[in-house]
Amino acid sequence: MLIWQILIDGFAVSALYALGATGFTLIFGVSGVLNLSHGALMVAAVVAAWVAGGEWGVSSHLGAIFGVLVGFVMSLLTYFAVVRPLQQSSKIREEEKEIFILTATLLWGIMISELIAYLYTNNAKTVLPIVEGVVMLAGVRTPANEVFTSVICWLVIGLLWLLVNRTRAGKAVLAASMNPRGVTLLGVELSWIYVGVWAVYGMLVGIAGVLLGMFLGVSSYSVGPLTASAFSIVVLGGLGSVSGSLIAAYVVGYLETMTAYLVSPAYRTIPALLLLVIVMYVRPRGLLGRR
Amino acid sequence: MIAAAHLEVKGLTKGFGGLVAVNDVGFTVKSGEILGLIGPNGSGKSTVMKLIMGIERPDAGSVRIEGVEVAGWPSHRIARLGVGMVFQHSRPLHRQTVLENIVLGLLPDRLMRLLPDPEIEARARAIAERVGLSGVIDRRPATLPFADLRKMELAKAIARDPRVLLVDEPFAGLTASETMQFSELIKAFRDDGCAVLLVDHNVKSVAALVDRVFAMYVGECIAEGTAAEVMRDETVRRVYLGGSIETAARPESSFGDRMPFLQVENVSVHYGKAQALENVSLHVHQGEFVSVVGLNGAGKTTLFNAISGMLPYSGDIRRQGRPLRGLTPAAIARGGIVQCPESRELFGDMTVRENLDLGGQHATAEESRERMAWLFELFPVLKARQNQTAGTLSGGEQQMLTIARALMMRPDLLILDEPTLGLAPVILEQLSKALERLRQTTTITVLLGEQNVTFALPHADRVYVLEHARIVWAGDPSRFAAEAGTGYL
Amino acid sequence: MTPTRSLASRILLSRTVWIGLSVVLLASTLPLYVSGYILGLLTMAYYFGVFSMAWDLLFGFAGEVNFGPSFLIGLGAYTAGILDNLYQPSIWLCLFGGAFASVAGGVVLALPALRVRGPYFGLTTLVAVLILQNFVIVAAGLTGGEIGLTVPDVISVDAGVNYWIALGFMAASGAVLYALSRSPVGLILQASGQDAVQAGALGFNVTKHKLAAFVISAFFSGLAGALLVFYLGAASVGTFVDVTVGVQVIIAAVLGGRRTILGAALGAVFLIAAGEALRPLGDLSTFIVSAMALVVVLLFPSGLLGLLTRARETT
Repeated sequence: MLIWQILIDGFAVSALYALGATGFTLIFGVSGVLNLSHGALMVAAVVAAWVAGGEWGVSSHLGAIFGVLVGFVMSLLTYFAVVRPLQQSSKIREEEKEIFILTATLLWGIMISELIAYLYTNNAKTVLPIVEGVVMLAGVRTPANEVFTSVICWLVIGLLWLLVNRTRAGKAVLAASMNPRGVTLLGVELSWIYVGVWAVYGMLVGIAGVLLGMFLGVSSYSVGPLTASAFSIVVLGGLGSVSGSLIAAYVVGYLETMTAYLVSPAYRTIPALLLLVIVMYVRPRGLLGRR
Repeated sequence: MIAAAHLEVKGLTKGFGGLVAVNDVGFTVKSGEILGLIGPNGSGKSTVMKLIMGIERPDAGSVRIEGVEVAGWPSHRIARLGVGMVFQHSRPLHRQTVLENIVLGLLPDRLMRLLPDPEIEARARAIAERVGLSGVIDRRPATLPFADLRKMELAKAIARDPRVLLVDEPFAGLTASETMQFSELIKAFRDDGCAVLLVDHNVKSVAALVDRVFAMYVGECIAEGTAAEVMRDETVRRVYLGGSIETAARPESSFGDRMPFLQVENVSVHYGKAQALENVSLHVHQGEFVSVVGLNGAGKTTLFNAISGMLPYSGDIRRQGRPLRGLTPAAIARGGIVQCPESRELFGDMTVRENLDLGGQHATAEESRERMAWLFELFPVLKARQNQTAGTLSGGEQQMLTIARALMMRPDLLILDEPTLGLAPVILEQLSKALERLRQTTTITVLLGEQNVTFALPHADRVYVLEHARIVWAGDPSRFAAEAGTGYL
Repeated sequence: MTPTRSLASRILLSRTVWIGLSVVLLASTLPLYVSGYILGLLTMAYYFGVFSMAWDLLFGFAGEVNFGPSFLIGLGAYTAGILDNLYQPSIWLCLFGGAFASVAGGVVLALPALRVRGPYFGLTTLVAVLILQNFVIVAAGLTGGEIGLTVPDVISVDAGVNYWIALGFMAASGAVLYALSRSPVGLILQASGQDAVQAGALGFNVTKHKLAAFVISAFFSGLAGALLVFYLGAASVGTFVDVTVGVQVIIAAVLGGRRTILGAALGAVFLIAAGEALRPLGDLSTFIVSAMALVVVLLFPSGLLGLLTRARETT
């Protein structure tokens, strides 16, 4: 029984991680930006859905859509207000831009989470599940919403895969991640690609956030751990490799679930971190990293 | 007893991935001698220098400094044994003065050296005096003219009194009088008993200075001897000049357009202190094939990047009379001026077909397919390799793919920057034939930049010669050899 | 005057030294007329200043982006606290133990730094923090876990004495780190950070110098962390190890001006002073301080000290 429990729970958690990390790695792959306000954007989406559902009393569907929308808008805001000014700045040397973008997105993340804490307190918020009830899977009582979460996550990841591999715009994005100068020479504006990628990222962050909010309570305290988990998954999978992130998300998700069930929930994140350290020493590029 | 050569290289071999960059190279440089290591881009000469300095580890072979085997040593140990290197591109300490930058080269490699040593400072001043930097010793590098920056690099490299001095492209970016000065400095080291290795592209630029020349091509030695001998060498002549050149220029008056398709007028570009282009003017008619011939560093790439909108310039660049300034590089490319850069910029992890598809993405699917079929006819090898990833293609195939990808965009003007870079002669011939077919079967307009004259002349209707950032000659390709050809060995 | 000025005259002529000395002297008189509350804040600020200066040595000079300053700080703080808790040796021994543990941690951190480049090293440092954080929480028996660790000893209960210790420690650390950054070794370190290949070709063992930078940075971070534990009388994840602590250290350094050492201390004091000045705004104060820091990062990348020195150079 326990093994099924672990398999089912782990699958849902991993799917969520995969969705969150995919966006994170997409941004890095295309524009070389590690967005440390990632967790804050997710929490912003959760809180938006919670406010819509709890305070305005709209239906859980509408609330979820509003949450995704807020994630989307916040993502574009992050790009235009924080990331792009730094990328285009002439006052900062190229080799120092990385630390500036990291510092700035961190500060931006702190601002978002502080503002949320100020406006809506630090209490954990849960978003009303879209699907209610419980289903039996291999003899395990599983909330229907957990199944729903896994399905949506994989649906979105599948759509993203189609978008990147089967459309011209997607191919251009993929090409830009390999060689930005090359796509410019072919008449593609890099700025369009960046905006497009941040828009897609915003959708992913919003969806991942709202689904997470249905899964467990989220507060401004979750900002750090959420960024950190996306970060570790992406590093483990190899920066910029989407398929690497998917694999890593499952490795981390199952490691955590197993530890939580078999050892103690308190030790939940430790094995994954240790694995990360080992990978960093043995194979610093990550599992499927290119560079 | 005969004194051991200061620098002795034997059987040096180095590969990167599947590519052999340096294959079984050997030479010696004696005390009081200057050896010129020359070769076109991609010939492996810079790799040889890095292998000697220990920046790269050789796969096989031996490097001896005064008899001591140093192959595989880390570079700091090689440096302390008495090897100094003048880098072509370097990053000086921006926040420190010239004096402090030179002091750096004199410091012992010890952690406990916390107090400045007045003796070191005195020596740094003496070195500055020697290379002619006394007047600017308290200025910061960013405020120095380019030639002084080069002198500062030299000062750092000689601070430890090296017995072997490696100099990378000693005269790149220097004016004639600055070149003279720098040559004198290098000669002074030779006269002090130093062994000097100069690395450069062409014999001519170092001929006056070197005692002997060692010429490389695609990783191997092709000639060795005095500068005059190497310049007479058949293989060297073929690599740099090719055999006899037949030209087939169409007279400029045959292009009936009233206004040239592309006009470049008085364009100047600066990189910091260095002038990369100086009042360059040229034009290209619709349907014309124009070659810009120039040695490495003459400013060809800068010119093309200015046309493609990738860097700021003064002066005017017009397409059919309309200025291009203000358009993004991508908009210029969409507008029909498409560049194949020397770095190729392929999407290495994508297949040949995917690369071509990306070139055709502004066209309808139907058009794109037709164009690809036509290109597969022009470059049959690409058809055979269409499902292979671009990164696994050979250099020649990659170059063809780059051109084909650009042609997918239906360019009005195709800019080719050094397509022959690092390619073997056989491949050059194939490429040359493809260009000839292109010229005969289409009305395409081409602007080609080359240092390989053999490749640049046969197709050209008109030729410009670019030297030290300026156009120094323009005219019919048939007159090139007689009037401007001597400098291209 | 001879071109080679003697060391003593250089020190005497250096404007930075005089300004620094007068600021420290002025600051040391504060306990005479300022409330204990403000002294307490400044004491914290001074320890943070040391954290930031130590970080700046690694980033600004050795060119290593360390996102986990709190790994080194936390190691020093917890080691000192645990030693005191378990064996109650003299405080000196605890401080030494903390600094030593931090140095050992610095060496461990340096190993990947010398192998991997670019963002990967930054990631390793961040992961190091997360691991330490988890370890502290899991090994609750030793570390007090999430509740925190209370140490039986304090250096002093007098706010003025604690203030003077912090000020003296910051001044001494600042002097050492600043002198180091201006010394021949600092020059080599900068060259290694800027262009490791060329530094090697100039005859410098880049690995050795970078390792030394890690050790020095770790020593000051750890010692400051240990001293802070004995000032606060307690250690918790939130005050020493958390990523946000490290973030504050980095923000202070960037805000004050990278590559200046002294700017980092200025930034730390500014951050804490700004947080205090905005306290009436309640929970919004952190928001506003972060926003101000973001504005500085976006608009004045050379930082506060950079602004000051540039103003001086242009006039």
